[in-house]
Amino acid sequence: MHCRWHAVSSWTWDAQDETCGICRMAFDGCCPDCKLPGDDCPLIWGACNHAFHLHCILKWVNSQSAQAHCPMCRREWQFKE
Amino acid sequence: MTCDTSSSGCGLEKLESLSDDSITEISENWNGFCSASEALLKGSGDLSFSDELVIRAKNLCKHGLASLVEQHFLRCIEEIFERNGARRFWNYFESYRNAAPSETNKDPILEEEIQQVICKALEEISSQKQFQEKCLLLLARALQSYEEDKLQGQANPDSTRVYLFSKYQLIVSSVLLASLPHHFPGILHWYFKGRLEELSSVAAANSEDEDELGMDDKMDLDEKSKLPYKCGDMDSDINQKYAVFSENNKLVKNIGMVVRNLRDIGFTSMAEDAYASAIFFLLKDKVHDLAGDDYRSSVLESIKAWIQAVPLQFLRALLDYLGDFTSCNDPSPGLKSPLASHPSLCYSGTGIPSEGLVRWQLRLEYYAYETLQDLRIAKLFEIIVDYPDSAPAIEDLKQCLEYTGQHSKLVDSFISSLRYRLLTAGASTNDILHQYVSTIKALRTIDPAGVFLEAVGEPIREYLRGRKDTIKCIVTMLTDGTGGNPNGPGSSGDSLLEELNRDEESQEITTVDDDINSDEKQAWINAQNWEPDPVEADPSKGSRYRRKVDILGMIVGIIGSKDQLVNEYRVMLAEKLLNKSDYDIDAEIRTLELLKIHFGESSMQKCEIMLNDLIDSKRTNTNIKATIKHQLQPEQRDLDVSLDNLNATIISSNFWPPIQDEAVNLPEPVEQLLNDYAKRYTEVKTPRKLIWKKNLGSVKLELQFEDRAMQFNVTPLHASIIMQFQDQKKWISKNLAAAVGVPVDVLNRRINFWISKGVLAESMGADSADHAFTLVETINDTGKSGTIDGGCEELLAGEDDGERSVASVEDQLRKEMTVYEKFITGMLTNFGSMALDRIHNTLKMFCIADPTYDKSLQQLQSFLSGLVAEEKLEFRDGMYFLKK
Repeated sequence: MHCRWHAVSSWTWDAQDETCGICRMAFDGCCPDCKLPGDDCPLIWGACNHAFHLHCILKWVNSQSAQAHCPMCRREWQFKE
Repeated sequence: MTCDTSSSGCGLEKLESLSDDSITEISENWNGFCSASEALLKGSGDLSFSDELVIRAKNLCKHGLASLVEQHFLRCIEEIFERNGARRFWNYFESYRNAAPSETNKDPILEEEIQQVICKALEEISSQKQFQEKCLLLLARALQSYEEDKLQGQANPDSTRVYLFSKYQLIVSSVLLASLPHHFPGILHWYFKGRLEELSSVAAANSEDEDELGMDDKMDLDEKSKLPYKCGDMDSDINQKYAVFSENNKLVKNIGMVVRNLRDIGFTSMAEDAYASAIFFLLKDKVHDLAGDDYRSSVLESIKAWIQAVPLQFLRALLDYLGDFTSCNDPSPGLKSPLASHPSLCYSGTGIPSEGLVRWQLRLEYYAYETLQDLRIAKLFEIIVDYPDSAPAIEDLKQCLEYTGQHSKLVDSFISSLRYRLLTAGASTNDILHQYVSTIKALRTIDPAGVFLEAVGEPIREYLRGRKDTIKCIVTMLTDGTGGNPNGPGSSGDSLLEELNRDEESQEITTVDDDINSDEKQAWINAQNWEPDPVEADPSKGSRYRRKVDILGMIVGIIGSKDQLVNEYRVMLAEKLLNKSDYDIDAEIRTLELLKIHFGESSMQKCEIMLNDLIDSKRTNTNIKATIKHQLQPEQRDLDVSLDNLNATIISSNFWPPIQDEAVNLPEPVEQLLNDYAKRYTEVKTPRKLIWKKNLGSVKLELQFEDRAMQFNVTPLHASIIMQFQDQKKWISKNLAAAVGVPVDVLNRRINFWISKGVLAESMGADSADHAFTLVETINDTGKSGTIDGGCEELLAGEDDGERSVASVEDQLRKEMTVYEKFITGMLTNFGSMALDRIHNTLKMFCIADPTYDKSLQQLQSFLSGLVAEEKLEFRDGMYFLKK
């Protein structure tokens, strides 16, 4: 028996949460500024293990005058290595 | 009359001064005059009494009895004419009282006979009349000479003659008309018709003669080949042809004679009526004959040419002939024999058609246009059915309508035929849509402003809105280049796709135009080109914006909003993409780009992501394959399934329509493979992971048996079913279902595919509920005929079962609506019964927050009827109740 299998799958971000805490959009979707999900609108994790859309958290971080904090837990925002 | 009274008044005065001598003289003269006139009039051509008549008349006139003389003579003429002329004339036609009206039976002998009788009768009555006119002329001269003597030449030399002749003409026609038998007009009509038919066949023969030089011998083509002459343009070619025509035809002369004779006896209008109706009759026949049921060629030009060639030539000859006669004969009518040949039948050849002829031409053309238009309008439905081929007929109709302006007739007739023939339960939605598109295209030619289209399209749209599968069909037409309509090889889908393309091009062109033309200039041109809307335009639609007939717009107009259309398209696209086993989506990308132009980028956003997923999947798939190449797997698989043979479509599920998820156990090696693949995916794309939709996708299988090899393209479930038979040739349905991981009934349904292909055989197991399936190794086992040979490619098996990988729009709707079910049951518990409107309004009022009620009345209705079908609700007299 010979077979060629064409399977279907969906991808998902391996995050604990469903939606981005900043834009309230689904992680598997994209942030309000983006059109295409996935590679074009990646997630980023903070040191506190909270995940956001990269674009969302960057906007947040840039808008803070002093040291930015995680919008979820108020800890100092550090990108997770 | 004034003349009469004055002269009789004169007579009375004179009466008193009359001597006996004079009385005797008068009575003598009177008796002589009476007998002379009687003898003269009865004398049939013998003019021997003329001298006496003249003398007596003069004598009587001397006594002032001129009016008496006139009256007596005229009465004599009338009596004799009535007795001899009229009665004999009508006697000729007495025998055809019943023959003439039956136009249907064309008896050539009878026709010939009638023709001769008419000629003969007319000749006779004309000669009779001429004779009497001669007699009258004698009297007129006598009276006139007396008058001249009396007034010494001061009198108008012609007045008496003119007066007498007009009197006489009146007498003749009134006598004839008073005794006119009712069938005579019919006979005349018949006669002219016969003559004209003869004429037209002669003309046809002539034109064939002329075209003998290597031309096609088909008459139609001949006529078309001679098209260069346009209406009113009587160039030398025609004159020449006309010369041949009239010289060769004594026929026209004969007809002309008949007409002239008829005129002579005062039947001018009847004759005109008769030949006009004959011409129209012939023209109508010709139009019907030429137009027929063939819509593939334009007939208008050939009809015009025919009008030029036959009826107009005839009329021209006729008018010339009559005109010649009147002009030549005016000074002394009746002295020339009508049979005398007219050498100067001068069709003067100057090429300036007389006013009468032009008027005739206009009449005939209008009639032709109207006839053709009526014919085409009556068949418009058929014409539109084979529209692209029937474009010439549409073009004809357009010209006719421009001429006649009877657009409303078209609208009415077409709508009624639509209702009767198309908008019925028997017509498939596809056909209706196809016809709708053709209608739009066809009417767009006739009426670029789209006013009539608006009126015609409305019933179709109305009807289509009531159909459930309208949206689906439209989307199929839009997207499916190969056409979802199996019985229409012309492929409606193609045409719509083309339409998308065409519109795109035209949009491009207009943008270029905008760049070139400055705004003001363009505005000025627009203003100059402004035309009022036709009267039939619906004022409520407003004409401020320039109507543009946009097929896609009109199609979307059926549905009401583009959102529904886009949604349906998304579902269909998802279905199509999920069943693709390669990543070839060029056609879909093209369609999507076109749709984006029409519906705006934002509404097609999700579809774009879906296509993007496919593109990404292809790339990712290659990447993952590449990583495998680096680190070859040491262990060999028992099954011929390696990662080389696995491809995956990876979707962003948030942007796809809800996908049917069904648990299924895939065969162990495949499962292993999928896990491998997912692991690699996570490696490549951390921190993302894959969730397999195991029931989706497609599997290309090649089954090898002892005596054959078969290829299939099936769903994963089918594949895993058949793969179970690799190790174990016989399965009980219960066990197999457990192994595959689906309920038994699903298994039983799906396994039918393999049974129908002759791969598996079904037999009853020990338990009656259990079926046993065995693998058919050789075809001979089952005695199935070996129609299936190796290498046959099957369609995706899933399609057979109506199984879909994506939830249909209706299913989605039902899912969304279930949230409101408890609201509705709550409401009904409180209120007892509620109408649809009220439920809708109440839901709108109370379900504001999460989830907001945003469904339409129709959607609610279909959901409620679903609940009724589930026996949760009851529906009576327009009210919904809770089922007790």
